[in-house]
Parts: sequence; C-alpha cells; structure tokens
Amino acid sequence: MTAAEVAERVERFVRTQFRVAPSDTRFSRSEPLFDSGYVDSVGVVELLAFLDQEFSVHLADEVLMSPEFSTIDGIAAIVGRLVNGKQPT
Amino acid sequence: MRQVRVVGKLDCNFGWTGTELLLGGGRTGPVQMPGTLRGAYACVSSSGAAHRLVRDPLGLAKLFWGINAEGELCFSARPWRLVEAGCLFTEIQAVPPGIAIDLSTNGGPDQAQEIAAPRRAPDPGPGRPIEDIAREIRTTVDRYCAALAAAHPDARVFVCLSGGLDSTGVAVLARSHFRDVVVVSFDLKRPDGSTSADRRTAARLASDWRLPFLEVTSSEEEVLSGLDVALREAIDWRDFNIHAALVNIALASGIAGAHSGGPVLVLTGDFPNEYLVDYHAEVVGGKTYYALPRLSPGALQSTLVRGLETSHREIGPFQKWRLPVVQVYAPAVDQYLALPESFLGEPQRKERLTQLIFGDGIPEYVYSRPKTRAQVGDTDSGAGVLGLCLKHGIDSPQLRRRFADLHGVDDLSALDRFIRAGRYRASPPHLRRAP
Repeated sequence: MTAAEVAERVERFVRTQFRVAPSDTRFSRSEPLFDSGYVDSVGVVELLAFLDQEFSVHLADEVLMSPEFSTIDGIAAIVGRLVNGKQPT
Repeated sequence: MRQVRVVGKLDCNFGWTGTELLLGGGRTGPVQMPGTLRGAYACVSSSGAAHRLVRDPLGLAKLFWGINAEGELCFSARPWRLVEAGCLFTEIQAVPPGIAIDLSTNGGPDQAQEIAAPRRAPDPGPGRPIEDIAREIRTTVDRYCAALAAAHPDARVFVCLSGGLDSTGVAVLARSHFRDVVVVSFDLKRPDGSTSADRRTAARLASDWRLPFLEVTSSEEEVLSGLDVALREAIDWRDFNIHAALVNIALASGIAGAHSGGPVLVLTGDFPNEYLVDYHAEVVGGKTYYALPRLSPGALQSTLVRGLETSHREIGPFQKWRLPVVQVYAPAVDQYLALPESFLGEPQRKERLTQLIFGDGIPEYVYSRPKTRAQVGDTDSGAGVLGLCLKHGIDSPQLRRRFADLHGVDDLSALDRFIRAGRYRASPPHLRRAP
C-alpha cells in the first residue's frame, strides 16, 4: 500500500469524522491537524482507533508526539512504513 | 556523564506484584525488577554512581525528567518542580510507563527491561462467566488490602466515600481489613444549609456501620482556591480531571486538618468508571462537557485505561498534604480488562458486577440510588464543581492558559505535545551527554 493510498483513506476519515466542510480551503493533507483545531484531544483517540482498525497498526507513544504525526501526509507516511514493514511487497 | 538530581519527594508507592506489596523506592537502596507490577509505583533508586528507574505499566505513579541549565539530569514526580529546577517545560518528558532501566555510567548502553502492561484481549468472548471474573476481582482487592493492612497495622484509614458503588465497595474492604477506619464525605456548602444525596448516603452508611464520620463541607471560594494546586499536582489541564482534583484537594485538606498525627492511609474508589466505561458527556447550558471518543465499548475501555497515565487527580492532591493514597481497585485491572465487550455494553453492568463482587456487603439503598458524579453534583443540586467552575468563568481555555502560566509556557500548543491521546510525552533518559 502506498502512502498516497493511506493518505486518501485518512483524509476521508478526518473529513467525515471531524466534519471538515468541503468548502474549507485551508484544509489540506499538509495542514497541522491539531494546531489548526481540526482534531482535538478526544478526536486524536478516534483517529488512532481508525488507524488501528483500518490498517491494523499500533502506533508507539513516541510516534504520537513526533512532528510527523501532525498532518495527514505525515500520518500516512508513518502508517505506510508500518504496513509495508509488516507486509513486504 | 551527567549528575542525577531528584527534585522534591516522589509519591508514595503501593505497587503490587500479585503476591506482595512494593512500597520502597526512595532515593537509595537496591530495587528488584518485578516481573509483574500493578498499582502505583515509580522510583529513582541510586547506589553510588548507579541509578535505576522503575515505573509501573499503567503509569499511575508519575516520574518526569529534564536537563537543567547546569546539565544535571533531574527527576521529579511533578513537571512544575522540574521547571523550578531550571528545566524547560517543552523538553520535559515522562519516564515511559512499564519500564525498569539501569542507566549506564560508563557510556555503554542502558539496560532496560519492559514490565508487561495490562491489555484487553482482542475479544475476550462470552466464554468466561462474569461470576468468575467478579470472584477474581474480589480476591485481588482482598489480597491487596490484607497486604496493606499488614504493612500498616497502626494506620488510621480514611475512606473517601461518595455513597456510590465504587467507594462503598472500598469501605466494605476497609471495614474487613483495617481496625481504625474513618469515612470522609465531601459536599459543597449551600446557602440554605441543605446537603447533597451523596452526603446523606455517606452519613447513613457511617451510621449503619458505626464508623466515625468526617464531613468536609467547602464553600465555593474554598474549592476554587485550590485551582493552582490542582493544575500543578494533577499534572493536567483537562476539565474532567481538574474538577475531580478540586474535590480531592478539599478532601485532602479536610483529612489533614482532622488527623492529629500517626500513620495514615487514604483509600479511594477510583478506576472502576474507566474499567467499566461508566462515563458519559454532560450538558450544561446547552454545551457539552466531558466528551468521550466515539468508540466501541471495548475500544473505549482500552482507551480510558490507557489514559490513566495522564491522570493524577487523586494521588497528586493528597500527596500535597503528605497523605499516602491507595487506589484500591488498581491491582484488579487485568480482571476488568477480561470482561467481554457484550458485558461492557450492558446498561446495568456496574450494578451487576458490584453485586457479584460485594453482594449484600453493600446495602440495597446504595445499589438503588441514582448515579451521580462528584464533578457534576447530584440530582437535586445539578451543579457540582463543573457548574461552579463555569459560573466563575473557569472553562477549558482558562484551565489551559493557567496550566501554561504555572509551567512557564508561552505557546499553548506546547501543551498538546505534552499530553496526547492520554499519554505524556515520554522517552528514557540517559546519563551520557550528547556528542
């Protein structure tokens, strides 16, 4: 699975779960999800549960605090590495 | 190599290996690495130049580290102490839960050992009878209390009693294991002098059981005066935990004022609400507070249990008054995590499980009373500490700002990189300096 494919599914989840308006021009895959207020402290738990369920990955605590885990692109890169690490193509 | 410094006292330890208490963990003396560790336990144990760090797998005991301006490796149970010792809040980290580390003093690799964390099985399934799990819970908490009583034979034991099922269960255990038990009840002072349903139930239990009864009745001003203490000692800014900490500060202050000295323990009924997913959002003035993640009962249970690492709403406030507090249900986490998902979805799960654990040791009038939550108040007051804080403009943004002020933080977004998804920022420290 490519990072782009992961990013597409994560973006779809974030848009639906956190009600991002289609007209929101600020929102993008490189926008910081937490600092910009798209995902709050409760939402991050829902996001983690989604990643666990959708991609069967468990993110270590230190990853959660990494700068990479702040945008959809970054999250997709982390998940992509984990998925491909487990399922070599 | 860095010098090690422990800033302030670490919290009292009440670790449980399954067969024995782990109470030690001061600054000196050897520590055995336990294979199983439940309950609250953290230590920095130093012998000469060697240092061992241990932290329980749920992270109930808190242990943070940072490097101060002098280059010392500083440890403390509270981030604010590290800030006062010259560490930057943005660089403070927790010692990861569930780890025992021997810090290398010669530049070699540190020796770390993982202590297994309690985990929910993917699906415990319906095969395990609830009655068996309840029996195991009772056995675990009984053994834990028996060990506590043996280690503290002369302690006066204060039980924080709301008159709910969890705290009443703790009172049942206290009566059966300790000789000198006092029950304590918190209430907000009301202009008309009336009392809450919690207070009336606690008083009735104390009377029925012929136990001394300590009433802690605080005015609104008295409760709110504890806000800075709550933010510092509970190591949190999130409203739910801070509101609980404010109640515990009042209780701790009341107990400390009433206790004339000698050995003391405080017992509380924290955690079954997390274990049994017994929480819901509250709506006040059309606004929702204490929102929960939208997850299945099993996933929510795992999340709430995992999030206990970032709650110091009990130990923190009581420790401020030097009162050792024991969260009696802590060692039974594995049994609660074995409850099937279908059970966690039952509306009467708390009553049913408590009935199986404590039977008629808890009077019927406790089983049948409406549920209340300390932060919200009871059905006839409708306000509690949540309403009180809102009335005084102390909302979530205000709590964040004040926590940041107290920890020398200008950029509020730094808080979101300190607690995320119920965990503190964490990594193991090293004695060696970066090249």
